[in-house]
Amino acid sequence: MEFKDYYKILGVEADAETADIKTAYRKLARKYHPDLNPGEEAEARFKEVAEAWEVLKDKERRAEYDELRKYGGRREDFRPPPGWQSGAGAEQFSGDFSDFFNSIFGGGFQREEAQWSGGFERSGQDVEIEMPVFLEETVSDTSKPVAYEIPVIEQGRRSYQRKSLKVTIPAGVADGERIRVKGQGAPGSGNAPPGDLYLHIRLVPHPVFDVEGHNLLVTVPVAPWEAALGTKVVVPTLEGKINLTVAAGSQSGQKLRVRGKGLAGKAGRGDLYAVLKVVMPPETSDAAKALWQELAEKAAFDPRAQWSEQP
Amino acid sequence: MSSSTLKLSVDEFCSAQGVSRSILVEMVEYEVVLPVAGQSERDWVFDAVAAHWARRALRLKADLELDWLAVGMLVDLLRERDELVRENEQLRVRLERFLAGE
Repeated sequence: MEFKDYYKILGVEADAETADIKTAYRKLARKYHPDLNPGEEAEARFKEVAEAWEVLKDKERRAEYDELRKYGGRREDFRPPPGWQSGAGAEQFSGDFSDFFNSIFGGGFQREEAQWSGGFERSGQDVEIEMPVFLEETVSDTSKPVAYEIPVIEQGRRSYQRKSLKVTIPAGVADGERIRVKGQGAPGSGNAPPGDLYLHIRLVPHPVFDVEGHNLLVTVPVAPWEAALGTKVVVPTLEGKINLTVAAGSQSGQKLRVRGKGLAGKAGRGDLYAVLKVVMPPETSDAAKALWQELAEKAAFDPRAQWSEQP
Repeated sequence: MSSSTLKLSVDEFCSAQGVSRSILVEMVEYEVVLPVAGQSERDWVFDAVAAHWARRALRLKADLELDWLAVGMLVDLLRERDELVRENEQLRVRLERFLAGE
C-alpha cells in the first residue's frame, strides 16, 4: 500500500511543534470539511487531513509513525515491519481510516466515537442515501427498491456490505424531505440495535412541470391571437390531460389555477397553475405581415406608455 | 417491506447519535435540532430531519472544535443555504422554461 506522508498532507515540516500542526489542521478542516463543502473531493481530502491529525496530535502515535516513516517512507509499496504492533492504539476506533492507518494502529478507529459520552452501548451507524423520486410517484404511496452499502466491522477491519430492500415512499413527500427506515442501517456493536436508514428525497426534475411547495406549474405557450381572442387548450396534468379556457385578453405570465391537480400534501392536494407564455410564430408570411401591419395601425396600443409619463 | 417516516423518541435519538440527554438538551437550547412534538424534555419527539442535522452538527463540533453556540449558528446558516440553493435552482429552471423559445 501507499505510504501516507501525514506531514505533507497537513503541509508542515516533520519537526513541527504540535501547536503548529494543530493550526494547519484547523485551516484545512475549515477548508475541506464535508459538512461545509459538498462534493466527494472535499470529503476525500478531509478524511486524509483528519487521519493525519489523529496520528500527529498524539505524542506516542506520532513517535511510532516517525519510526515507520524512516523505515518505509521512501518505498513505493509500504508494509509494516514484520511483527509490528502499535503500543499507542489502545483506544477502540472503528472509523473510516485508510488501510495504511489501520495497518499501523490496528483497525477499529472511529472519529465519532471520540465524543461518545453515554453509558450505554452504541447502536449501529445510520446510513443516509439520496432517493430520487418522480413527481408521478408522489401522488399515492409508492413502493420503491433501494440498494446501498452499509459499513460492517469484521475482525477489527471495516468493509462494506451491499443491501437491498423495498421501501414505501408515502404520498405527498416533498423535495429535501428525509425519511427514516428503522433498523436498516449498519449493525450495532454487541447487543446494541442496528442503525437506521435515512432516505433524502430528491424530486427528479420533470420535463413539463415545475414544483412550488405543493403546487405545480406548467408553462403553456399560446399564440398572440389566442391570448387576444381567448381559446381552449389541452393541458397535461400528472394524471392525464384537461381542457383549459384561456380568457380573451390574457397576458403573458398570467397564471390560471386548476384546483387539486398539484402534488399531494398533508392538507390535501395542491393546485396546478398554467402559466401563459405568448409566443410569436417563427416565420411570418407576407399576408400575415400585412395583417400585423393593419393591427399595428388600428390597435392604438403603446406597451411603453408608462415610460413616456416619466420626466 | 420496511415502514418509513418514523419519528424518534429521546432515548432513540440519544442512542442513534451517541449523545447523552444533557447534550441533547444543549442541542435543543441552541436550536441545532428542534423537537417536532412534546411539551417537556421527557416526551420530545424528533423527525428524520433533526437526525440529519444532529449528525452534521456533531461532526462539525468535533472536527472544527466549536462550541454549541457556534454550531447552532452554523447549522442555521447551512439550513438557510440549502433552502436558498434549492429555491434558486427551481427558479432558474422556471425562468429558462419561460424565456426559451418554443
